[in-house]
Amino acid sequence: MTKIYSYLSEHINGRRLVIGVPYLWFIMLAAIPLLIVLKISLSEMEDTSVSSMINWAEGWPTLKLNFSSYLFLGTDPLYIETYLSSIKYALITTLICLFIGYPFAYFMARSPKHLQPMLLMLIMLPFWTSFLLRIYAWKTLLVSNGIINNMLMAIGIIDTPLPMMNTPFSLLVGMVYSYLPFMILPLYANLSKLDLRYLEAAADLGTSPFKAFWLITVPLSKAGIIAGSMLVFIPAVGEYVIPELLGGPDTLMIGRVLWDEFFSNNDWPMASAVAVVMILLILLPMAIFNKYQSEQAEAKA
Amino acid sequence: MATAPNANSARKRAPEELLRVEGITKIYDGAVKAVDNISLTVATGEIFALLGGSGCGKSTLLRMLAGFETPTTGKIFLAGKDITSLPPYKRPINMMFQSYALFPHLSVWENIAFGLRRDDMAKEDIAERVESMLSLVQLGKFAKRKPHQLSGGQQQRVALARSLAKRPKLLLLDEPLGALDKKLREKTQLELVNIIEEVGVTCVLVTHDQEEAMTMASRIAVMSEGYFLQVGSPDEVYEMPNSRQVADFIGNVNIFDGVVEEDESDHVTVRCEECLHYVGHGISGNKGMSVGVALRPEKILLTKERPEGEYNWCAGEVIEIVYFGAHTTYHLKLDSGKVIKAQELNSTRDLSCGLTWGDRAYAQWSNMAMVVLTQ
Repeated sequence: MTKIYSYLSEHINGRRLVIGVPYLWFIMLAAIPLLIVLKISLSEMEDTSVSSMINWAEGWPTLKLNFSSYLFLGTDPLYIETYLSSIKYALITTLICLFIGYPFAYFMARSPKHLQPMLLMLIMLPFWTSFLLRIYAWKTLLVSNGIINNMLMAIGIIDTPLPMMNTPFSLLVGMVYSYLPFMILPLYANLSKLDLRYLEAAADLGTSPFKAFWLITVPLSKAGIIAGSMLVFIPAVGEYVIPELLGGPDTLMIGRVLWDEFFSNNDWPMASAVAVVMILLILLPMAIFNKYQSEQAEAKA
Repeated sequence: MATAPNANSARKRAPEELLRVEGITKIYDGAVKAVDNISLTVATGEIFALLGGSGCGKSTLLRMLAGFETPTTGKIFLAGKDITSLPPYKRPINMMFQSYALFPHLSVWENIAFGLRRDDMAKEDIAERVESMLSLVQLGKFAKRKPHQLSGGQQQRVALARSLAKRPKLLLLDEPLGALDKKLREKTQLELVNIIEEVGVTCVLVTHDQEEAMTMASRIAVMSEGYFLQVGSPDEVYEMPNSRQVADFIGNVNIFDGVVEEDESDHVTVRCEECLHYVGHGISGNKGMSVGVALRPEKILLTKERPEGEYNWCAGEVIEIVYFGAHTTYHLKLDSGKVIKAQELNSTRDLSCGLTWGDRAYAQWSNMAMVVLTQ
């Protein structure tokens, strides 16, 4: 028995085992699916399935890569426009969420300790209802004969209904509404850890509360701002349901194009290529930003 | 006797009053009295220490001086001006925070410049002032570092430089050495006092460490439960405590309970259960009064032979010997059951008085060694 035990303890490194679990998770649930998507994007459509990548010719395997989907992406301006407009709406959503979420998180973090769990729960409460239902609810609020228009007309502020539905406005309302909690939560986590003595020190050195906010609170919550913005921006770029339900003809978003390629055109390689480029579009700026940050940190050390 | 020279020198300097606190009280939640009707004045150039255990109100008092807390009643004057309702950022007072509160996202240089940039100061003047502060605390080489890249002692000096940079009229120090280890603390104590004296700034410091208060301050206020027990120079509060609480709080002390038997202008005698005290000066008490006689351990001489005379000695059994290197503390169990401590200097390498556990020993002291406490 002791022999077995000593053999095991010599050859199995517990620490590696523990680190291995998340790696395994990542490989199975992120890396492999991504590779499959990449593979499909490089093949051709054959009737109902995609062509296989490796052909056996005279006993030798030959790799067949088909870049036609990517080439088409580059030539059709529709795709480029859609990418740009997706990024535009995701950026606007992120900025509005930050603008609303920051004061929200700030006052939550400053509210009495015994109230904070309840406030947190109120932020999460909407998640208890189906996401689809909530987006549909916005539809009934925003349409021409919806509650908001009816009310405004009843008061007499407007004569004709405001065209709100199926516009960039309704799209942004839906996006901000859905993603706001993802901005607030990391900001709240960050701001509630802020050591108030820094603000006292700033006041002691002659800084008014307003200036101390910009000089101390905001820079020290940078990590929370970045985390919240990433959590909003990344899913917002690929959002499908909200532009489908609340958007209009002029609010192109890549999620809808993806859907169309898959289910209307039944062109899987094209849809996969659209998805791969979208991932690159999101990952590249993030990677560059990360590299810049770590370089800066090293330069200062 | 000991008060006379002190009082004289104080009068000679004719100290100019800088800070005056009048009947200040702070009540929390309508009930808890953190600071209870305290008045004090601090002269220009003085280092004034607020000494007390946790919860005695010393930090609350300091925070009221800084402006972070508003007093419930009372007034604070700085150089004759009422600053009671001034917010912290408008007071010409700077504070060195406990564990420093250096801004983690700013470099050493920017931390020191932070307060200066808030004033309308020319860029070149700020740079010049920061450089002079850096050289004052000998951190010129570390200007570009972030606080987390510095050792505890270096952070402490940055905090000091930051709080001195604006040339405040009054410097507040909140447990200035609390975050340092013992060896570094002793070294830093003197450094800190030297820098403060070089700059010539008036200081109020808060500490729970009596050694820190004794070595750094020119005057100490011993605090308990929101009020001052005693205010005086370090030697005054140590050698002439005005109450059992102060005697007990500052250093070690043996207190004998007794009754005044003789009350003359040049001496008094106090009869205790263990011994008879002959005190070589008059006291502000009268015959028949029950008093405490405080005797510091280092003022006791231990011998194996029974002393002559009937005054100022007692006998007991050695029950504990604690060796400190420079001195040894003997715990003596007197015949009454009371345990006293006696501290003997290890002036030679063999333990001088040759006492060991279980020995019968005699403790004796001079007639100027003890303090008669009437409260």
